[in-house]
Amino acid sequence: MAYQPKPPEGWLKTNLKYTKQSGSWAWILHRITGLGLTAYIYLHIIALTSLTKGAKAFDDEMKLFTTPVFKVLEWLLFSLVIYHAFNGIRIVLVDWANGARYHKKILTVVYGLGIVLFIGMGFLMFREPITNMFASIR
Amino acid sequence: MKVTLRIQRYNPEKDSEPYYQEFSLEVDDDKERILDILHRVKWQYDGTLAFRRSCAHGVCGSDGIRINGRNRLACSTLLRDVNYRKPIVIEPLPSMAIIKDLIVDMSDFYKKYEAVKPYLTSNAPPPENERLQSNEDAEKLFESAKCILCACCTTSCPSTWSDGNYIGPAALLKAYRFAFDTRDDAADDRLDVIDTPDGIWRCHTIFNCVEACPKEINLTWHISQLKKRLAEREM
Repeated sequence: MAYQPKPPEGWLKTNLKYTKQSGSWAWILHRITGLGLTAYIYLHIIALTSLTKGAKAFDDEMKLFTTPVFKVLEWLLFSLVIYHAFNGIRIVLVDWANGARYHKKILTVVYGLGIVLFIGMGFLMFREPITNMFASIR
Repeated sequence: MKVTLRIQRYNPEKDSEPYYQEFSLEVDDDKERILDILHRVKWQYDGTLAFRRSCAHGVCGSDGIRINGRNRLACSTLLRDVNYRKPIVIEPLPSMAIIKDLIVDMSDFYKKYEAVKPYLTSNAPPPENERLQSNEDAEKLFESAKCILCACCTTSCPSTWSDGNYIGPAALLKAYRFAFDTRDDAADDRLDVIDTPDGIWRCHTIFNCVEACPKEINLTWHISQLKKRLAEREM
């Protein structure tokens, strides 16, 4: 009797089990940030619908967005944009400029520059509220 | 020195699902190859263990398996290349149907390979001797010609895992091998085959294939050259 070969495991299980290297992490992060940014576009459009409800509704909403929680969320949104944009440039270099030969070096630059810009943006965004907070304590 | 192999077993006559079996054995040092240890398991502990190997020197490409979660050739991997302080996990290549233990069904892989017409097609009349080529032109093909068809790359690719029809890096590399050969006249046919949604555009430059390749071929670079050629053809 002939036996049928056993079908392979599903893609998700294989993804979880297979050893990751720098390129696969870059791809996973690119996917996650891409999905996050797509979700953000929808949230952004939904938030803007308050414009149709008059000036007060919009102003109230804008006030909500200046609260610390939304400031931190905005900072995290910046990190998604920065990674997705820089890694996007890396992918263009890989496909068009022999970047496949030095993709790990480009990735180091992507991470390094991303972290520097992320911290820098955090400094710009939170310098004032944090100094104010300490000033009030004193 | 003692090492433990944790081998995925599957016997179609008895098992409904694959399971893991551990074998502990003494080895001399960490310069032993994984293939030698698999041989000792088969010859001294359990003769029913099934795996493919032929030349045992990294030329035939038949012993591609997943070692500690990464596709490698058992004959080209030394103990010191993997973490052997914990049990070494030995599994068949991912995303391939399992025939028995570590033996997978390669027919799909070969079908994709044949789709890119992996042979020279020339309109020129057959010459008296060989078809000559300049050193510079030949050099463009050396890296891609090193492929031994072990399927480590294609089965390491997340695009292959999620789309069974994806042509895969090995077939794309072979398309490069002939499409960039100055003696070949069928480049357009090959480019037509790979220029599909299940073709080259499913490569997301994840570099799993490059990490897996036992011959150290930079597949992603070759695929990027094909992408450029396809874009130039469009324009």
